[in-house]
Parts: sequence; structure tokens; C-alpha cells
Amino acid sequence: MSVLERASRSAPRRTGRTAGTSRTVRTWRQVAARVRDQRRYGGGFLWLELELPAGFTAPAAGQFVQLLLDFPSPVLLPRPMSVASVRKLAGRLVLGFLYGPVGAGTRALAELQPGATVHVTGPLGRAYPLSEQGTPVLVAGGRGVAPLLFAAETLARSRRRCEFLLGARTSRLLLGLAEARARLARSGSRLHVATDDGSRGFRGDVVRLLHHIAPTLAAPIVVHACGPHGMLAAVARWALASGVRAHLAMESVMACGTGVCRGCPLPRSAEARERVLAEGAGAAALRGNPEWAMCCTDGPVFEARELDWERVE
Amino acid sequence: MSGPATRRKPIAPRRVDLGVRVGPLTLRNPVLTASGTFGYGDEYAHVVDLSTIGGVVTKTVTVMPRPGNAPARVAETPAGMLNSIGLENVGLERFRDEKLPRLRELEATVIASVGGETPEELETLLSALGREPGVAAFELNFSCPNVAAGGARYWTDLSRLERTIALLKPLTDKPLIAKLSPDVTDIRETARACERGGADALTAVNTFVGLAIDIDSLESKLGRGTGGLSGPAIKPLALARCWEAASAVRIPVLGSGGIASGRDALEFMAAGATAVQVGTATFLEPEACTRVLDEMRAWLAASGMARVSELIGAFHAQHAQECEPDAAMDGREPQGREPRGREQRGREQRGREQRGREQRGRAR
Repeated sequence: MSVLERASRSAPRRTGRTAGTSRTVRTWRQVAARVRDQRRYGGGFLWLELELPAGFTAPAAGQFVQLLLDFPSPVLLPRPMSVASVRKLAGRLVLGFLYGPVGAGTRALAELQPGATVHVTGPLGRAYPLSEQGTPVLVAGGRGVAPLLFAAETLARSRRRCEFLLGARTSRLLLGLAEARARLARSGSRLHVATDDGSRGFRGDVVRLLHHIAPTLAAPIVVHACGPHGMLAAVARWALASGVRAHLAMESVMACGTGVCRGCPLPRSAEARERVLAEGAGAAALRGNPEWAMCCTDGPVFEARELDWERVE
Repeated sequence: MSGPATRRKPIAPRRVDLGVRVGPLTLRNPVLTASGTFGYGDEYAHVVDLSTIGGVVTKTVTVMPRPGNAPARVAETPAGMLNSIGLENVGLERFRDEKLPRLRELEATVIASVGGETPEELETLLSALGREPGVAAFELNFSCPNVAAGGARYWTDLSRLERTIALLKPLTDKPLIAKLSPDVTDIRETARACERGGADALTAVNTFVGLAIDIDSLESKLGRGTGGLSGPAIKPLALARCWEAASAVRIPVLGSGGIASGRDALEFMAAGATAVQVGTATFLEPEACTRVLDEMRAWLAASGMARVSELIGAFHAQHAQECEPDAAMDGREPQGREPRGREQRGREQRGREQRGREQRGRAR
């Protein structure tokens, strides 16, 4: 038997050639944006605001964009960055970003003055499913606060209450505290703070704070989290053990950000692998890899059951 | 944009004829996407009108789906990037049943890239896809640096390479384009082996094997150690390999490696490439191939060149001898290749067109 025949047996060829092909609607595009503002945010971080031309789809919380510096740039590839705020100003979209100048690309970005050009590709990836049934519990670790500020804003606009847990190593690194508070005040939501050294709020990490607070909340709750992968793995394990749904925004080194280069794999869980194999050829375009999920198009937001947290790096 | 040494009178950009012939295949223009950088075409169809570019070379497809390598799969390096994707792809069945019908709808000129761990796997692929409507040509990926079996090193065996192409040739009436690795001692030997095997064209070149070490952990920045280097960093290296390959064979060569502008593309064509592929540039700028094409057209118009084909080999014709093997280096005589002028290439081209027509006639 040839290899092809074996392949045919395991995945029977469908009669209708395009049957089952769910067409992904893509709305991302690349535009030239203008730096509107850039300022210090505390803790060595910066807040960048970009004004976008018409025709750019407004991102949702959890989605990201690729930022490419104008030529000449010290780096080749664009930098994926999660969106921290979206607002409209005189009919134009203004996107806000919270980032730390840690590498050559972000340091060059930090040098940009108002009026400078940045090429923006987006919106990319899948957002937090904020409309999912249950009380939203937003869990932020360090600079992972960025997409959750946006999530809090989105929830406040639809007058939904949430619990916001913000953690950092020490009080100085509690980024976005004032912004989170301002967004939460409008919807009667609560802010809970944790620091590893106890310099502010709960003493311990934000996952322990979650464990502490969750039983006091009306069930069901839905966790939306972002932070270092170690923290997200801990949130995921807690959620899986507690029977709580948790959506975790991951990050990865990326090249394209659009799903073509296959450069940002994350390990799928055994459960997800089985499901992808069962879906077989009918799965949505490019979602068919049973071993690896792509951070850019399958994520960056993943439900806890989707990934193998023992192998997430 | 200033014109070349010929200094002819500028013409209107719309008057520039960008059509080129790759063996029996006519392309509307010489700018294609490189395999692995444009998915299966559909992913970029909302930003690039696929019917306006020369062709889409799809992500390499293998008989069975492949999950690809463990992370990290990409690492940025100065003016370039390393990748170790490991030929992740949907496999033959889904490519044929889902991807190809979509590409047909989009009216793209599709060059299907195929890869195999053995000659027999390539045979299976060509048997299944060889007569499939909507495939204009096949690119044979003999040069992936990131797989344990059937990668660039496996295909450095020239007799295997030649035999395999000969084996595949009867399975399709579409042109076979062999994509070459630059990581060989003499790419002219590889190019000639492909030509002897019956390849209709070559792509020169795939990525260069590279390594990046995280000095703090003393580990590779890629999960699988080495990767393939692409981007502007490799352009001069790729251009030299492309020139060497084009000097060694009579079949057309597609240039690839770090092309990011119209001028880059024209350099490859002057060195002897009949068409070019834009790869890594697409990761930065999804519409890169469209811009490369626009810049190419503008330069040709400013230079008064009514046909892009006039430029093919223009540098090569003047400097071909410099590319011949240095007798002192390898002690062998060049293999009887005369430096070719444009007129001679034109004659060869017509001859190839004639042969192509004959072949197609036989196939029917």
C-alpha cells in the first residue's frame, strides 16, 4: 500500500471538494500610523499612542498588532504588541500600548517622537471572549496588564461588573494601577492588588490571590489573564483543578503574525490534539496541526484546556 | 529612479511588458512569492490581488501532514532571520481538496512546492497532483535545511537528484522547478545535475544554514539548533549563487534570497534570473511583492526598457567568464559553456518554447 493510500484511509476524501471548508474572514491590513503621544509610565515602562488612518478595523481586547519601524530600523522584523486601549478621536482610531524598552526593537520604538511613522498590521489574533457567561475575573501579572486594561474598559462600556486582580513583584512595578482603578469605578467593579514582597495589598503572587478570592465570588466566574507564562500556567492549572474557565493571553517570538510563517508554536494539550484529529480535514484553515497551536492565529488567547502547560516555555 | 547605462528615453510605466517565460510557462510578470512565506495564498488574498502577481509558490506540501519542529522556530539576527519550521504543512489530501480549489477561485498562477523524504514520496505527490487543474508548475524542494530526513543534505547526492527529477518528469506535463540549497561547494554542479535530470527551471536559492546562540544559557536560539537564514543579510550571497547557477545551465533560473525592492529583483534578473521570488520581506510588509513589482516597472519605464526580458542576463552576458571555475582552484576545465549574449539566450528561449509546445502536444 502506498503512503497516499494509507493517508486516504485515515482521512477519507470528501466528495464535495470545498465542503466543510470554513472560510476565515480576515480583516487585518497594514497601514502607516502616526505617533500621537509617547510618555513614561513608571517602572521603566512607556505608554505609546498611535493614530491610525481610516479603514483599520478596531481591535478587541486580547488582540495584537505588529509594529514595524520605518526604514532605516535597527531590527528587521515587526514587533507583536498587545493593544492596551482603543478610542476614537475626531473619527480616527487611537491605539494605546504599554511596553518596556527591553530589546533593540522596543528601544528604537521608545525613541520615536510625536509625528513619527510606525507601520501597523492588524488587528491580529483572537480576543478574550468577554461575552462568555459568568462574572469576569481579570488577572494581570506585571506588564501583562496591558490587554486587561482594555478588557476592563470594554466591560465598563457595557456596564458589566468585574473583579480585577493586579499583581507584581513589588509595588513600584504595579503597572496600570491608576488606569485600572479609573476604568473599574465606572462599573462598580473591584480592584485587588498583590505583591510578592507584600509592599502593597495581598502578600504573595496573583495566582494565590485568585485562589483566595474566587470562593467569595458568585459562580460561575470566567478568568481572563495575561502575564508571564509561568504565571499563566499556574492560573491554568488552578482553573483546570477548580472547574473554572480561564482564557490566557500568551506571547511568542513571531515573524509574520498572520499565520503563514508557522513560527510561533505552542504545545496543544492531549484533549485539544484529539479534537483537532477528529475534526480532520474539516477544521478551519490552518487550525489543523494537532501538535502545535500557532500563537498568532489560534491565539494569542487560549482557554486553559487548549494547551499543554507542562510544555509551555 | 535613474536608468541604467543604456540611457534610453523614458517610457510610460504601463507600456512596460513584464511578461516572462519560465520554460513552457508564461508568467504575467516576474515577481512571485517564495515558498513558506505566503502560506497557501489565501491568507493574503484580502491584501494582495493574486491575479496581478507573477505567481504564488505555495508552502511545501508533503504526502502526510507534518506538525513541524518544536519551538523556538524563529530568531532574528542582524538584517535577517533564522527559521526552523520543519516543513509544517497540511499534507497532500488537504492541499488538494481545500487549498487548491481556493487558489483556483483567486485566479492565482500556482506553483505548488512539494517535498519528500525519499524519491518515492515525491513520486506519490506528483502522481496525485501532476494532472490537477490549477497548478501551473511544481517547485521541488530539494533544499530544506530544517528536517531530519529528505532535507538539503540528502539532496546533495547529485546522482540521486538527477535520477529523481528524471523519475518525476513523466508524471506531469507541468514544468518542474528544482529549488537549490546554497550550502554546497559548487552550485553549478547541482544546477547541471538538475538540468540533466530534466528540470525545466531552477530556483536559486533556499536559505543558508545558520546558527544563533544565546550566550547566557549557551543554548541555540532555535529549538532544533541550526536554522535557515533569510532576509536582506543573504542578498549578496544569494545573488552570487543565482549568477553561478544561471551561468551553468540553459534552463531558466528563478532568483531568490533577500529580495525586498524592485532594484533587488532587477539585480537578480541582470545576473541571469528569469523571475524572482519575494520571501521574508512579506513578513514585514504583506504587500511586499506588489511594491517590488511596482518599483520594477517604474525603473524599467525610467530606463526606457519596454520589456523586462531585455534585462535578463544583462550583467551575466558581460561577466560570464568571471564565473567560470578557477582552474587553479579545482583543476578542471569549465564544462564547455560559452558565455552567452542576449541574442543567444533569445534563440535558446525560442527553442525551449518550441520544445515546450511539442511536449504539451504529446501530453494531449
